[in-house]
Amino acid sequence: MSTDDPACLDILRRLKSTDPPLWLAPNPSLSQQARTASLGLFSSLKPYTPQSPLDRLLIDGFDAEQIWQQIELQSHPLLSFLQREVKRFEKSGEISRFLAEEPQMKDILREAEDDQGRKEEEDVDGFDEDEAGASEDLDDDDEEEDGAEEEEKEDRDEVGDESESESGEEGDKGGIEDGFLKIKELEEYLQKDEAKKYGLEGSGKKKAGNKERRGIDEDESSEEGEEDDGDDDDEPGGFGVDDDEEEIENARYEDFFGGKRKKARRKPKVKDGSEEDVSEEEDGDDTENENEGNHNLSTHEKELLSMKSKIEQMEKANLEPKTWTMQGEVTAAKRPKNSALEVDLDFEHNARPAPVITEEVTASLEDLIRKRIMEAHFDDVEKPPSLPGKGPREIKELDENKSKKGLAEIYEDEYAQKASLISAPSSFSDEQKKEATLLFKKLCLKLDALSHFHFAPKPVIEDMSIQANVPALAMEEIAPLAVSDAAMLAPEEVFSGKGNVKDESELTQADRKRRRAKKKRIHKAEEAKRMTTKSKLRTMPNPDEGKED
Amino acid sequence: MLRRNIRLRREYLYRKSLEGKERLLYEKKLKIKKALEEGKPIPTELRNEEAALRQEIDLEDKNTAVPRNHIDDEYASATERDPKILLTTSRNPSAPLTQFVKELKIVFPNAVRVNRGSQVISEIIEACRANDYTDVILVHEHRGVPDGLIISHLPFGPTAYFGLLNVVTRHDIKDKKAIGTMPEAYPHLILDNFSTKLGERTANILKHLFPVPKPDTKRIVTFANQSDYISFRHHLYDRQNNNPRVKYGNPKSIDLKEIGPRFELRLYQIKLGTVDQSEAQIEWVIRPYMNTSKKRKFIGE
Repeated sequence: MSTDDPACLDILRRLKSTDPPLWLAPNPSLSQQARTASLGLFSSLKPYTPQSPLDRLLIDGFDAEQIWQQIELQSHPLLSFLQREVKRFEKSGEISRFLAEEPQMKDILREAEDDQGRKEEEDVDGFDEDEAGASEDLDDDDEEEDGAEEEEKEDRDEVGDESESESGEEGDKGGIEDGFLKIKELEEYLQKDEAKKYGLEGSGKKKAGNKERRGIDEDESSEEGEEDDGDDDDEPGGFGVDDDEEEIENARYEDFFGGKRKKARRKPKVKDGSEEDVSEEEDGDDTENENEGNHNLSTHEKELLSMKSKIEQMEKANLEPKTWTMQGEVTAAKRPKNSALEVDLDFEHNARPAPVITEEVTASLEDLIRKRIMEAHFDDVEKPPSLPGKGPREIKELDENKSKKGLAEIYEDEYAQKASLISAPSSFSDEQKKEATLLFKKLCLKLDALSHFHFAPKPVIEDMSIQANVPALAMEEIAPLAVSDAAMLAPEEVFSGKGNVKDESELTQADRKRRRAKKKRIHKAEEAKRMTTKSKLRTMPNPDEGKED
Repeated sequence: MLRRNIRLRREYLYRKSLEGKERLLYEKKLKIKKALEEGKPIPTELRNEEAALRQEIDLEDKNTAVPRNHIDDEYASATERDPKILLTTSRNPSAPLTQFVKELKIVFPNAVRVNRGSQVISEIIEACRANDYTDVILVHEHRGVPDGLIISHLPFGPTAYFGLLNVVTRHDIKDKKAIGTMPEAYPHLILDNFSTKLGERTANILKHLFPVPKPDTKRIVTFANQSDYISFRHHLYDRQNNNPRVKYGNPKSIDLKEIGPRFELRLYQIKLGTVDQSEAQIEWVIRPYMNTSKKRKFIGE
C-alpha cells in the first residue's frame, strides 16, 4: 500500500473531508482509517529510507505513542536526506532559471510563507484537540499531513532560498558557520587584506560580484554594512560561489563599468530600495577607475598608495566625532543603550576582596587549632583574683613568763578598770586601731556629706577638755568666730588698779581740775627731760668743728 | 533607676576625662620605679614630686599599679560573673534567619533567644538592664542570608558592629546524622592574630561573651583573624593517640570534628555606648574609600 494506491488516496481524501467536530469524540472507524492511511504513507516513503529497520508500519495492537515513534524512526534520516538534496539542488545550475522569472519568484515566496503559516496553525490546532482529549490518532494524522506538507514546503523553500541568494549562499557548511562566523565574510576580509598589501590588482574584477552580493544579501547587509561602506575605496571582493568566480575571471573592466553597471544597479534598486548603496558604489567606481589605470606599480609605489589610503582613513577617523569611550565624562544619555556592558571598564578597587574559603584555608585553620590544642594555649577568660576579704588574724602572743603580779592584784586591776577609776594601759596596736578608725570615720563623714541627699551630721562626741582663759560667753557658743587674747583675760588682769576708780562722767569739778593739773605737771617733767638731753648732745665736742681751712 | 543610670554614666564620662592625668602620673611612677630598680639617679624633672610619688608607689598593689582605662571599666566586673546573653533579630525575620539565630543560641553558653516582634531597641535594652543581662546580640539578614551582627555590652559598654560573610549554617547540611547534636559545655576559646590595639579591643569584646570554661572541655570556638576578616569556627576535638607509644608531641593525632555554623566577620564600627545610644562616641569606624585602606590592616599583623 502506497500513496499511488488509489485505496490509500481514497482513505486520505475521506479523512480530509470529515467534519472537524467528528474528531472530538473517539471514533473507532476514523481511527482505523487514520491508521491505514499512515500505513500507506509510511510504505510510500519506504523506498527513500533504505536503512530503516521497519519494513512496514505496525499498527495492529499498537497505541498512538508507539506508532508515532515508528514514524519518527523513519522520518529522521529522511529529513536529513532531503536537506542534502535541497543543497545540491541549490548548487546546481537551476538557480539561474529563477533569476529571470521574478514575479513567479514572488508568488512562490508568498505561497511558501502562507504554507508555513498554515502549518503552524495546524500544529496549534492539533495540539489543542489533543489536549481536549480527542482521539490520539489525530496526532498521527496530523503528523502525517504535516510530513506531507513539509515536503511540499521544502520544495518551495528550496526555490525561495535560491531566489534569495542569487550569488549562492552556501548555508551551513557542516556546522562551522553560525550567527557569528561566516566563511564568506572571512574570505572577503582575507582578500581585502591581501589586496591592501599587494596593491589593488584584482579589485576591479571582484567589483561586480561584490555589488551583486551586496545588493542581494538583505540579511547580511545590516551586519556587513559598515564594513562594506568603508571598503568603497579599496575593493577587494571576496570570492563567492563558483558562478561568480567564473564570471569574474573572464570579465573585463568594460563589462563592469560599461554594460553590467546597469544590470547590477537594477538589482540593488529592486532588492534594497536604498539608493545610498548605489551612489556609494558609483563613487567608489569613479575613484577606482582612476587608480586602476596601471596594473604595474612598483612595490614602492604600492606602498605609497597603501600608506596614502591609511592616512586618508585615519584623517577621516579624526574628523569624525570620537567614540564615547574616548570622550571624557560620559553620561548614560550620551552613549548608546547598554554600551557600557560591552566595554571592559577598569577602575581601582580600594577594598580588599572578601576571602574565598577554599580547602586550603580550612586546612590551615584546622592546623592552627590543632597546634593550639596540643600546646593547651587557649585565650579563655580568666577567673579574677579573689580579693582578700578578711585581714590577717591577730595572733596574740602568749607571754610565757610567770606573771609578776599576784592573782589578787590582777583581780584588783580588773575591778578598777571596770569601775573606770583607772584606764588600762592601751597596747600599741589598739592605739593604731583607734587612729585608723577615727580617720576612716572622718572620711566616711565627708563622703556621705557629698553623696547623700539627706545628710545626717556627725554625732557630737563628748570630749572633756578644759580650756583656760576663755570667757564664759565663748564657751556657750558652738563656733566662736574669733577669740582674741584680750577676751582670754579676766578683768582684774586687764586692769590692776587701786582706789576708787571713777569714770569721766562721774567726776566733779575739783576732780577735773586736779586731773588737769596732774597732766600738766607730768608734761612739764617730760619736757625738761628732753631739753637736758638735747643740750647734752649739742655741747658734745665735735672734732671737726673748730677747724677752719 | 533612671537617676542612677544618669549618675553612673556621668561618673563614667568623668573618669574617662581623668585618664589623661592618670596616665601622666603613671608614667612618672614608672620612671621612678625603673630608676630605683636600676640604681640610677632619679631623673631631674621628677625631683620635686619624687617623695610623694615614692610613697604612693610603696602603697600600691598590683590592682592599683596599672592605670585604669575606661575600657577596662566596661569589663571590670565581667570576670566576676558569667555572661548572660540575649539574642534577637531584625524585624520580620525570614525562616533561615530564625534557624541561624537558634544555632547561635546554642553556640553561646548562657544565651537566650527572643522573638523580635515589634519591639523598639530601647525597650529591649531597658528590659535587659533591668534583668541583669551582660550582652545583647542582634542578627540582621538580606533575603534569608545572615549579613550583620551587632554585639552590645550592656552596662553602657561598647557596641561592635560586624558584617557576616560566607555563612554556612548547620541547617544547610541536610544530613542530620552526620552533624549530630551540639554539646553545650563551656568551650575553650582560640583568638588568633589580634595584634593591634584595635585587635585586642575586638578580642576582648568577643572573649567576654563566653564564661570561664573547665580546663578539660572538648569544645573549641575559634576566632582567627586574616587581613581584617575574622573566621569563626566551632569544633569538637578528640585526642586520639593512635600509636600509644609516641609520647613526645603527638603528631597531630587530634581529631577535629566541625560542628556549628561557620562564618566570616568583618568589623566596621565600634561605638562607646549601647545600641540604643545613637549619639555615642565612635571609637573606630572602617574607612573603605580611603586610598591607602587597601594597604593597611587594622585588626592584626
